[in-house]
Amino acid sequence: MGSWSRRGLAYAVACTVSLICLYPYWWMLVSAFRSTEAILSSPLRPWPEDISLQVFSEVASIGGTPLWRYVVNSLFITSLATAIGTAVTALGAYALVRRPDVLLFRLLRAGFLATIMYPYMLLVIPVYIVMYKLGLLGGYPGIILFLSLSPIQFFLFEQFFRTIPSSVMEAATIDGANEAQILVHVVMPMAVPVVVTATIVSFLLNWAQWLPVMVVSRSPDTYTLPVALLNLNGELGVNFQGIMALAVITTLPVTLFFLLAQRRVMSGMTAGAVKG
Amino acid sequence: MKDPSATRVPARALTQRQTIGAFWLFVLPFAGLTAVFGIWPIILSLQVSFTESASALQPSAQWVGWSNYASVLADPIFVSSLSRTLVYTLLAVVSTIVLALAYAMLLHSPWLGRGVTLFKIAIFLPVVTPDVAGYVVWRWLFDQSFGAVNTALGALSMPTFGGLASTDTVIWAVLIAELWHHVGFYVVIFLANLALCDRGVREAAQIDGADAWQTFWHVTLPELRPALLVNSVYALIQYLKTFTVVAVMTKGGPNDSTNFVSYYAYQLFEQGRYGEATAMASILFGIVIALALGLMMIQRGSVSR
Repeated sequence: MGSWSRRGLAYAVACTVSLICLYPYWWMLVSAFRSTEAILSSPLRPWPEDISLQVFSEVASIGGTPLWRYVVNSLFITSLATAIGTAVTALGAYALVRRPDVLLFRLLRAGFLATIMYPYMLLVIPVYIVMYKLGLLGGYPGIILFLSLSPIQFFLFEQFFRTIPSSVMEAATIDGANEAQILVHVVMPMAVPVVVTATIVSFLLNWAQWLPVMVVSRSPDTYTLPVALLNLNGELGVNFQGIMALAVITTLPVTLFFLLAQRRVMSGMTAGAVKG
Repeated sequence: MKDPSATRVPARALTQRQTIGAFWLFVLPFAGLTAVFGIWPIILSLQVSFTESASALQPSAQWVGWSNYASVLADPIFVSSLSRTLVYTLLAVVSTIVLALAYAMLLHSPWLGRGVTLFKIAIFLPVVTPDVAGYVVWRWLFDQSFGAVNTALGALSMPTFGGLASTDTVIWAVLIAELWHHVGFYVVIFLANLALCDRGVREAAQIDGADAWQTFWHVTLPELRPALLVNSVYALIQYLKTFTVVAVMTKGGPNDSTNFVSYYAYQLFEQGRYGEATAMASILFGIVIALALGLMMIQRGSVSR
């Protein structure tokens, strides 16, 4: 086989795979603008019959709660969980990397790893009981605090802090800096890129979270967009167009976010997997 | 006579002891979150699995020993759910690794010059898409009357796909949706590993007369061992916990054919059968840890050999 036909074949396979990956987005987007009857008669039509924004008034209220409430909840819960998670995890990982000689620190790391190994969907069951005991059911604090515990952030920070040579800290210590000063003046400036990566990655992951939100909530007042979407999808009497429109609203923000920061997201999410 | 480092070590140990307080302060919030939302729930879950469900949330929980585990293991739905979960996990892990490796090799090949970034974005976009949204769309793509999948198959005059409605095909429909969502992650990990591989070794093998298959088997694959290990452990843990796709697309049906352990346990939890639900969680936790450690040990053994 000649080099050109090989190239052609490689491009053909890659294009087909990409098309399969992307087609569901296009179908979702087109379907959001088409009526249920129109989709039933020709499911594959590649563009809508006409652009009508009428559907967005159909999803203006889901299950008696206005759409904007879910949007605000999603933004609020995701942002706060991401910010708290980044700060808390960065500090924790820093301490664990700097002082592996402390037995309790090593135990804490083991406990954290066990938490990750535990089937996440089933961790929600005992977490529900913990929230019940602490009186956190039904409110934002419980949801936000639980989401802020993020494995991927921990690994990103742990891996980064391990690359800082200890001579850097020792030099600062000799210069008379205490640990807080070293953290603020030496470590934090170096850590800016990894903090940005960790923030973006965990924002994307927190945005997608649904089960903890659903389990800790007591009413749709604290639901985020994915939970609202799941509810709408489970309702009797299919509002097909509404489901697709809500799926678009749930997906579009993170899609744009990913496209803007794709290099960082891809390297961040897979960092630590293979040592470079 | 005195070794300078001998005096230096105690001095450093002294400053370390003085500064440990700062580290306790740094670690405190993280320790708090891990304890309250990780370690405590796991211990609580183990504890609840030994109590009677109705009393589980009361302060005077009633201990019942191993009876939750006994009733779970005697439950035919659980036993078939467990074997289904293991079969599905095996199927999903193998197809994920094979597809991701093949596609990563293609993207890494010299045949694709420009455009690799776009192909990477296309395969990774489903990874960052909220899983609920992705699976909702797939649920409707597979739908018998709305579905684009069957209309497309019909247009190509191929047999129709039973999708989510038939017990024979539902596993494949679920697997396709999960592969769509997950495979890009594994592709990018393989690509990161391939980027570290030495092209020179491969070229030398080819000059020595190795064909493409021999080069792949004896040169590339051993170099990919780190990514293979990480990917198989990740995939194993991930597919054993398969949940969202079932909650969105099938609700365990039709006829329990996608009722995996984590979904079944969750259903019991919703019915307030906390004891049995947590017993199932413990069993699944044990399987996850045992398989993950086993896989790591096998890989370590083959590295040191």
